[in-house]
Amino acid sequence: MSASMKRQKQDLTALGEDYATKYGFHDPVDYFHKGAKGINHEVVEMISRMKKEPKWMTDKRHEALDIFFSKPTPQWGNTKLLNDINYDDIYYFMKPIEEQQTSWDDVPEYIKKTFDKLGIPQAEREFLGGVTAQYESQVVYHSMRDDLKKKGIVFLDSDSALVEHPDIVEKYFSTVVPSADNKFAALNTAAWSGGSFLYVPPGVDVQVPLQAYFRINAENVGQFERTLIIADKGSRVHYIEGCTAPIYSTESLHCAVVEVIGLEGSYIRYTTIQNWARNILNLVTKRASAHKNATIEWVDGNLGSRLSMKYPCIQLIGEGARGEILSVAFAGRDQHQDAGAKMIHAAPNTSSRITSKSISKANGRASYRGLAKVYKNAENSKVSVVCDALLIGEEARSDTYPTMEIDSEKVSVEHEARVSKVAEEQLFYLTSRGLSEDEARLLIVNGFMEPFTKELPLEYAVELNRLIELEMEGSIG
Amino acid sequence: MHTQDSEYTIPDTKPELERGPLWLRNRRRLSRDDFNRTPLPHRALHLWRYTNPTSFLSPLTDTADISDSEDYGDAEKTSLKHLKEGDLAGLVTDLGGREIKGYGLDQLTVRGVVVSPLSRAVEEHHDLVEQYLYGLVNSQTGKFEGLNGALWNDGIFIYIPDNITVENPINLHRLAGRAGSARFHRLLVVVGANAEVTVVDEYGGGSPDTGDNPSYTNSAVEIFGLENSRTRYVALQRQTRGANSYLTHRARIERGASMLTIPLSFGGALSKQNFGVILNGKGAESNMFGLLFGNGRQHFDNHTLHHHTSGQTKSNINMKVVLRDKALSAYTGLIRIEKDSQVCEAYQENRNLLLSHGAMARTIPELEILNDDVSCSHGATVGPIDPQILFYLQSRGVEKEDAVRMIVSGFVASTLTLVPEDLRQRIDDFVARRLEDI
Amino acid sequence: MGKYTGIASTSDIPEGKLKVYEIDYHRILIAHTSNGFHAVADECTHDRVSLGEGCIHDDEIVCPAHGARFNLRTGAVVAPPAVVPLDTIELKIEGDEIFVLLEE
Repeated sequence: MSASMKRQKQDLTALGEDYATKYGFHDPVDYFHKGAKGINHEVVEMISRMKKEPKWMTDKRHEALDIFFSKPTPQWGNTKLLNDINYDDIYYFMKPIEEQQTSWDDVPEYIKKTFDKLGIPQAEREFLGGVTAQYESQVVYHSMRDDLKKKGIVFLDSDSALVEHPDIVEKYFSTVVPSADNKFAALNTAAWSGGSFLYVPPGVDVQVPLQAYFRINAENVGQFERTLIIADKGSRVHYIEGCTAPIYSTESLHCAVVEVIGLEGSYIRYTTIQNWARNILNLVTKRASAHKNATIEWVDGNLGSRLSMKYPCIQLIGEGARGEILSVAFAGRDQHQDAGAKMIHAAPNTSSRITSKSISKANGRASYRGLAKVYKNAENSKVSVVCDALLIGEEARSDTYPTMEIDSEKVSVEHEARVSKVAEEQLFYLTSRGLSEDEARLLIVNGFMEPFTKELPLEYAVELNRLIELEMEGSIG
Repeated sequence: MHTQDSEYTIPDTKPELERGPLWLRNRRRLSRDDFNRTPLPHRALHLWRYTNPTSFLSPLTDTADISDSEDYGDAEKTSLKHLKEGDLAGLVTDLGGREIKGYGLDQLTVRGVVVSPLSRAVEEHHDLVEQYLYGLVNSQTGKFEGLNGALWNDGIFIYIPDNITVENPINLHRLAGRAGSARFHRLLVVVGANAEVTVVDEYGGGSPDTGDNPSYTNSAVEIFGLENSRTRYVALQRQTRGANSYLTHRARIERGASMLTIPLSFGGALSKQNFGVILNGKGAESNMFGLLFGNGRQHFDNHTLHHHTSGQTKSNINMKVVLRDKALSAYTGLIRIEKDSQVCEAYQENRNLLLSHGAMARTIPELEILNDDVSCSHGATVGPIDPQILFYLQSRGVEKEDAVRMIVSGFVASTLTLVPEDLRQRIDDFVARRLEDI
Repeated sequence: MGKYTGIASTSDIPEGKLKVYEIDYHRILIAHTSNGFHAVADECTHDRVSLGEGCIHDDEIVCPAHGARFNLRTGAVVAPPAVVPLDTIELKIEGDEIFVLLEE
C-alpha cells in the first residue's frame, strides 16, 4: 500500500491501543450504552474488538472506512433517496439496551395485516416483527447443523465463522467484492455484522436446500450482513435466504454484501426473496465467481423495501463456466425496485442467460440495469437476455437500461425486452369465462411470474402467490 | 493531442459572435456563456462512456483552407449529374459552414419553397428563422451543441410551405476542412402542414489520415414537421479517415406527421452522431433505419432517441452495424414514453455483425416508460458471420472476400427493404460503394 | 507485425512513479519500479478507466477507480474487481531512451 496509507494504518493501530486512556472507558460495551450513533474509526475498532476478530479483519475494516469516506454517493438510480441518507443517524453496532426491545405496538399495521392474510403463526409474527430475539426453529437449525457437520459442511453465521474457521474466511473474504468496489460495499466491509457463511467440501452434494431463515435471529436481521459462500470442487448446494413474509426493522438502511465462489465443476443455486418493510432502503452488492466448468444460478425476488438497488453479478472466469440469473421485481405503491443482472464472460466456451421479469403497479417504478460484458478471450460464448415488464395502472413506470459490451467476434449475444400492460384480449377471454376482472388480472400476473415461481421450493411458491394476490387486491400499501 | 479542457473557453473576440441580427447575436452569446460555464460531460453517463469528450474540443483558431479532396469532387460531380438528369429537386454545397452555394433551385423557388443560406434567410425570412432556429438543438442540449450555437458561421435554411410536395430529394453536400481545421454546420428545415420533402445530407472531406491533426466538424440539424407533413432525412457520413465529427440532429413532428430518418455511418476516424425525433401530436409516426460500416480503427459512437410526448404515436428503429479489423461501434438507443402519452407503440432493433478479431460492439437499448398503455419492445444481437453459410458459399466456388460481401449484403438487406422505393437506389449506391472497402 | 517506437527518456519518470503516453491510438503507461521500467496498456480491464491516477506498490499497480491491482511485469490480476489480465507491452531501453513495441 502507499506510504500515506501505511502512515494512516499506524495511526489507527495506535488509536485502538490507546483507547482506554484516551477516552476513559473501561468497558467497551459502556460506549454503546451511551447511545452512540454514526460511524468512525473508534466505532469500527470497537465492533472488531467485541467480536474478538483477528487483526487482519480489523485492519480491513479501518481501510474500508477510509474508502467509504472518500467515495461520493452514486448519482444514478434513485438519487433523491440516496442523497437523503444520513449516515450519522444510524446505529452501526448495537443499540442502547433501552432501545433494543421493539413492542408489538410498534409493528406497522400493514405488516400485521399481511401476517393475518398469509396465516403466519403468532410466534413467527413476533420474530419477523423484530419483537422477539428467539425463533422456535432455532431447534431445527441445531439438529440440521449436526448432520451437516458430519459431511464437513460449515454453515454458520459469519461472525462465528470468522472465529471458528479463520483460515477459510481469510482465504476468500473480499476476493470477489473488494472494499473499493462502491461506496456501500466499503461501508459494509467497515461495519459488517451477521450474514451467512457456507463452505461445502469437494465432491459433497448437499441434497436439501439450506435455509438461512433458520439461522437468523432478530438481532442478526442485520443492516450490514456479510455473506460468503464457497462450493469447493465438484460440490453441489442450494442456498435460500429471505422469505416472502415481510420483515420489519426499525433501522432503515440495509447494506449487504454477498460473495459466492464456485470452484471447478461445482454447482451453486442461490435463491433470495426479499420482502423488507416499506421503510427500508436495501442496497446490496452481490457477486459470484464461477471457475472452470462451474455453474452458478441466482434466483432473485424483490418484493419489498422502499428502494432496492441490487444487481446480482456472475463472473465466468473459467472455461466452460455457466451462469444464470432469474430475477423478479414487484414495485407497488411508492416502491422503487432498481434491479438487474450482470454477466462477465472472461473465459472461452462460457454461456449465460438472464431472465428479468418486473411488474409495476400504482405509482411503483421497476428499473432493470444490466450488463453483458464479453472480453476478447471469451471465444465461443453465448449470452441471452430477456427482460419483460408488465405495467398495471396509469402511473406505473418501467425503465430498462441494458448494456452490452462485446469484444470478441466469435460469440453470440441476444437481448430482448418487452414492456406491456395486461392485454385487453387476455382479460376479456378470462372474464368471459366467469372470472372477475380482479381474478383475471391476478391469473395473468401469476402467469407472467411463472418462470420464476416454478424455480422456488414449494412452500415459497405458495406463499409468493398468496402475497401477489394481496398486492393485486390492493390490500397492502 | 487532446486539448486541456480547463483552458478551453470561447473568447469574446470571435468574429462569428457578431454575425447576424441582434436576436441572433444574443443567442450566440448565450450559447457561448453556457458553453464556457458547462463542465465536460461526465464519463459515467452512458452517452459519454465510450468516447472521450475532449476529442471534440476543436481548435478555436485556424486558418486552414477548405479541403479539396478528390473523393469529394467525385461526389459533387455525381450530384450535378443527378441534378441535370432531373433526379434531384436541388443541390446545395456547404463549404465548411462558410460558403453556401445552390444549384438548380429555380424550380423550387417558383413554388414558394425556400432553400437558402441562413445568413440570407435571417433577413428575408426573419419571422420563420427566429421562431424555429435553436428550438431543438441549443446549449441546453449539451456542451458541444453550445459550441456550435456560438460559432457556426453560415448554414442552410429549407422551408416547404403548407401543402407543397417536393417529389425529388434536395441534396446537400457538407465539406469538412483540412487537417487541423474546425468547421461548424447548421441546418434548419421547416416543413409546412401537409407538405412533403426529402433531404439527403452528405458529409464528406476532411483530413486524409490519422496522426496528430484531425479535421473537426460540428453539425446541428433541426427539423420541424408540422401537422400531417411527411419528411425524409438521410444523413450520410463519409468523411475521410482523419476526420473527427460531431452531429446532433433533432426533429419534432406534430399531429399526423411522419418522419423517416436514415443515418448511414461510413466514414470518419471518430464520429459521434445523435439522432432524435420527438413525437408531439396524435397520429405522429417516426421510423429510423440506419446502417453502419466500420473498418481499420474507426470509432463510432451513435445515439438515437424516440421521445413520445403525445399519446397515439408510433416509432420504430432498425439499426444494422458491420465491423471489421479493430473498428468499434457504441450504440445507445433510448425510447421514452411520457406519463400522459397513452396508447403508444415503440420498437427498436440493433444487430451487430463482427467480421474480425478485434472488432468491438457496445449496444445499450434503453427504455423509460411512464405509463402502462403502451406496446414497446426492443432487441439487440451481436455475433459473427454464421460459419456454415460462409463454408457453403466457398464450397460453391465463391472467393472468401466475395462471400463475406454477399453475406454482409444479406445482413443489411432486411433493413434496406424498409427504405421507400424511390430512395432505395440512392441508398443502395451509397452502400455498394462502401462495401467495396469492407 | 510491430516496430519499436521511442516513447520517453529514462529521466522522465522517477522511481515509484508512472506516466501515460498516447501514440497512434495506443494509450501506454510506463511505470518505474524498483525492478526497472514496465509498459502496460493504460486501461483497467475492469471498467476501462485510465490507470494514470493510480499508484505503484512494489511490482503492482493499483487502479484508482475500484482498487483493482495488476502485476506490472506479467499483467496478471492481483486483486478484484478485475478478472482479466492487463495487456503488457514489450519494452527495451537503449542508452537513456525507452522504446515500446507497437503493432501496426
